[in-house]
This record gives sequence, C-alpha cells and structure tokens, in this order.
Amino acid sequence: MRWDWSLLAPEYLLAGWAALMALLGLWGRLRAYWLGYVAAAGALASAATSLIWLGDRTAFGDLLAVDHYTTFFRVTFGLIAASVCLISAGYVERFLRHHGEYYAILVVSVIGATYMAAAQELLSAYIALELLSFSLYVLASYAKMDLRSNEGGLKYMLLGAFSSALFLYGLGLIYAVTKTTHYQGIAEALAGDLGGTKGLALLGLSLIVVGLGFKVSAVPFHMWAPDAYEGAPLPVTAFISAISKAAGFALFLKLMVQAFLPLHDDWSPLLASLATVTMLLGNLVAVHQRNIKRLLAYSSIGQVGYLLAGIAALSPETANAASAVLLHLAGYVISNLAAFACVTVYYNWTGKEDIYEYRGLAERAPFVALALSISLFSLAGMPLFAGFVTKFVLFQAIAEADLLWLAAVAVFASFVSLYYYLMVMRQMYLVEPETRERLGVAWPEYGLVAVLVVAIFVVGLGPQPLFNAAQEAASLVYQGAATFAALSP
Amino acid sequence: MTGVGEVAAFWILATITVGSAVVVALVRDLVRAVVALVGSFLGVAGLFILLSAEFLAVVQVLIYAGAISILMVFAIALTPRSARDNAETAMRWLALALALAMVGLLIAVATVTEWGPQAKEGFQETASAIGEALLNRYVLPFEVASVLLLAAMLGAVVMVRED
Repeated sequence: MRWDWSLLAPEYLLAGWAALMALLGLWGRLRAYWLGYVAAAGALASAATSLIWLGDRTAFGDLLAVDHYTTFFRVTFGLIAASVCLISAGYVERFLRHHGEYYAILVVSVIGATYMAAAQELLSAYIALELLSFSLYVLASYAKMDLRSNEGGLKYMLLGAFSSALFLYGLGLIYAVTKTTHYQGIAEALAGDLGGTKGLALLGLSLIVVGLGFKVSAVPFHMWAPDAYEGAPLPVTAFISAISKAAGFALFLKLMVQAFLPLHDDWSPLLASLATVTMLLGNLVAVHQRNIKRLLAYSSIGQVGYLLAGIAALSPETANAASAVLLHLAGYVISNLAAFACVTVYYNWTGKEDIYEYRGLAERAPFVALALSISLFSLAGMPLFAGFVTKFVLFQAIAEADLLWLAAVAVFASFVSLYYYLMVMRQMYLVEPETRERLGVAWPEYGLVAVLVVAIFVVGLGPQPLFNAAQEAASLVYQGAATFAALSP
Repeated sequence: MTGVGEVAAFWILATITVGSAVVVALVRDLVRAVVALVGSFLGVAGLFILLSAEFLAVVQVLIYAGAISILMVFAIALTPRSARDNAETAMRWLALALALAMVGLLIAVATVTEWGPQAKEGFQETASAIGEALLNRYVLPFEVASVLLLAAMLGAVVMVRED
C-alpha cells in the first residue's frame, strides 16, 4: 500500500493558511479588509496546487483517491472559498468581530469538504463531514449579538448533530452487514448473497440517505435551512449554500456509485420520491417568501431536488447521470455565488434584505441589478445562461434513465422557479425607487461579480470544457466501481 | 457465555442497567434522575467488559458516566426551577408505546438477523488493536480529527469570549 503524503499538499497548504489567518487576525495594524484577500489567495493557491495531479490516478493508501474526481472538487471548493472570502471582505469588516478566526475556520472547512469528495472509505468520509459541519455551525452563529444568527446557528447545530448520529448509525449497520468500511468492499459484499441481512443493509442505507438528506437540506429534512440561511451572516449563507451542497453531493454521488450500486433497484425509487417532494416544495414555498435570503434558501432546496433526481437516475450501465449531476452542481454554485455577491453588496450599502426593498435598484445601481438578474435567470435555467445548459443535460440524463415523469416534474418546478425569480426582477426594474440617489461603487466586489457573470455566460455558451471535466471525473468514479460489475449477477 | 459466574454477572449487571433506567423514567427530581442514569451507564460498561470489549467499557465510563452526565447536571442547574421537574405529561403513554416499539424492533433485529461467524466469537485485545489501526492504517482520519478539534476550539473561544 502506498502512503504518499505529498498527495495531500493542497490540504497542508490550507491548514497552514488557516493558522496564518488566526495569527494575522491578532496583528492590529493590518486592516480587516485585507484579511479577506489573503484568505482568498490561500484558497486559490490550494486549488492551483491540486492541478499538479491533473490526469493522475493515484491514491493515498486505500483511504483517499487522488484522481480527476478529487481534482474537480478540490478546484471547485477552492474557488468557492476564494469567492466567499472576497464577498466577506467588506461585510466582515463592517458587521462582524474576530476577523482572523472567521477566515481561519472558513479555510479549514475546505479540508473537510475536499476529503468528503476524496474519501474511499466510510471513516475518513465521516470525519471529513464532521469537520465541514462543525465549521459551518460556528460560522452560521458568528454574528453572536444577533438573535437571528443565534437561533439559526443553534437549529443548524442541533439538527446537524441529529443527522450525523443517523448517518453514523447507518454506517454502523452497513459495517455489520459487509464487515468493511471501504466502498469497493461494500459493493462486493452487497453484490453477493446477503441472505437474511438484506433488510439490515437497506435500513442502514436509508439512515445514510436521511443523514445526508439533512446535510444537503432535502425535503422533508430541510426545516433547518431557511432559518439558518436567514440568520447566518450573508457571506456565510453564500458559503453554506455552495459548499455544503457541493460537498454533500460529492460524497453522496461517490457513495451511491461505488458502494451502493448493487442495491440500485431498491434505492432509486426512494430517491426519486425524495427528489419529487424536494423540487415541488422548495419551489412552491419560495413563491411566498419576502426575504431575499429565505427566497434563495428555498430556491436552493429546489436545486437540491434536481440534483437528487439526477442521483435517482444513476444507472449501472452509463456515467451520464453522474456527470450531469457534477455539471449542474458547478453551474448552480457559480450562479448562486453570483446572486449572493450582489445581495451582499446591496446589504453593505443599505442593510436591507427584504425583496420589496430592492425596488428601483436598476436606477440606483444598474450593474448590481443587471448582475443579479443574470444570476437569477441562470438559476431559473433560461437559455444563454449556465443554468440552461446544465439543467438541460441533467433533465436529459433523467429522462434517458426511464424516469420521464421525474424529468417532467423537474421542468414544471423550473417554471415555478422562473415566476419567483421574475418577481425579484420586477421590483428592481419596474417599480419606482424610493429615492433616485445613486448608490456608490464597490470595486473589489464588482470585480468578483463580473468574473462570476462572465463564468455564467462562458458555461452557458461554451460548456464543452466543463462538460468534459465533469465527464472524466464521473467516469473515473465508475471505473472505481467497475471491479464489482463482473461480480454482480 | 459459559461459566456460572459469567451468567450471574450478566444478570446482576442487566438488573442494575434496566433498574436504573426505570428509576430515571419514574423519579420526579431531575438531578436524581441523572444520578440514576449514571448507574445505568456503569451497568452498560460492565456488560461491555463481559463481552470482552474493554476499550468500549473504558470509553463508556469516561464519556457517558463522566462527561455526558456532568453536562446534564450543568444543563439542569442552568434551567429555571419550574422546568426542572420530571413531571407527568400527556405524552407519557405515547412515549411508553414508542419505547416498547423500539425494544421490540431491536429484539427482532437481533434475533432475526443471521449474524456472521465473527459476531459469535469474542474479541481479542481490543484496545491495542484499535490503537494500532488508528496510528497505522487510519492515521489520516486521526489527523483530520485533530484539525476538527482545532476548528471547534477556535469556534468555542470566539463564541464565549466576552466583548
């Protein structure tokens, strides 16, 4: 077995950077503003370092795989963290205290997210999941003088601990049946004759699905999400909505493909029904929201529904659905971060987060209004924008997996989502503003927003590179699972 | 289980565990309930030793009988007096039904499942086996746990600091 410790260099960098951030926070002469840029540089450097292994297929012992899948997510998480650090720079200086520790915890959480994607066995996956969750609990309640932040953080922590326990109980049952924690070994054991233990395996699998369902806020396990989103400081809301979903699905996808594909016929209907209620409830409840953070929370629950539908459509034969899930995940993350960057900029100016407060924004800050509209169009899945391509590929993969009805529900849910996104745009473009006074210009945030908007169009008009990357990552996950294909009847 | 001594020890420990649990449910004062709960935890630790899982027994004493019960005492001490009574509620028959259903489910799972041959043999040297696995094969999760503790500690300091 190879224990090549150099494979973990991007995470050493992150851990070191976290310590550096905590120390820099103590240095009073450094303006808090700059901490955000330093943290973002660390996250970007870690993402760049991970490119060393581009195209490699190695592994750290039998615990972590370092392949396309891992690299795909290392880059994704690094970019998410860098964007959130940039979004935070202005906000954190103004509204929060203890800046150094804020960025330290933010950077450390990326290690957890990465190992969730890279893990090849349950113990590493679980401890990585906890690392990410703990960091997010702290960040969600970081505005400790704000009652809403306390409430959201506490709900998030209690339900998170509860779901971790369910997840762990599921892992225990799976171990009891298969006597191994390695994905491959689990798949081999499940493909063989289970005898009287099949019920136990299914119970364990259901508990794992429920635990992960809590983490990615799938209905009916979503009750923490709107409160946590509303209470958390805005950049943290952006971070939770991007990284907890991306990392949760990275783990979910790999687990389902590499460990539980032999039980595919048993869990596919379960996930399809979860996906249906998640898509419908998330999007229908979003229509009634008045607060933009709650609106984006329910809209992201709706997006989780599409991704779950993609997981339900996984099949033993092709990797199409898996690569579609990765593609849509990337598109969702870019669009959602762009939307949150705009919302944060507006909050920094005015301290307002109700949708009706956005009235007439097009006259007061045309760039922000335009960028927010573009990201909302992309989330809704309009042509030209990233969301259209990624949703198209995803729904196509779902339809091809003989789940045409599920694809139809997804299309219906998308139309509902277009309605509430348009309501926000109506406020910005058609309603008269309170005052005509122009809002200032926030250059660093504008730069980030511009980059994200360009990314939305690049993915929307020329998705081929991202599509290829997603396909290679997904096919590698399948190759890892290929060994058992010969074993299964 | 073979010897008479082991069977006797099992029944004594089982009586302590279940008896303390019944006291927890019936006693009115919450502090007394916690003390009874410690007895139940210690009984479970004894059962672990009977199953030759020494490591688990020590962890059970340290974490459950030690840390968790102290945490509960703190929680009770910090709650207003009115909420400290283990009073009767309308839900108690529902709770009883749920608890009995859970017991039934666990007994069913334990008896119906065809456990593998390893489950019937005892374990050997669990503490050293766990130590070796943690520091050799699973050293990475072990190290990640230290990063986790660092993040948790930073978070705790930020949360409780006066400012």
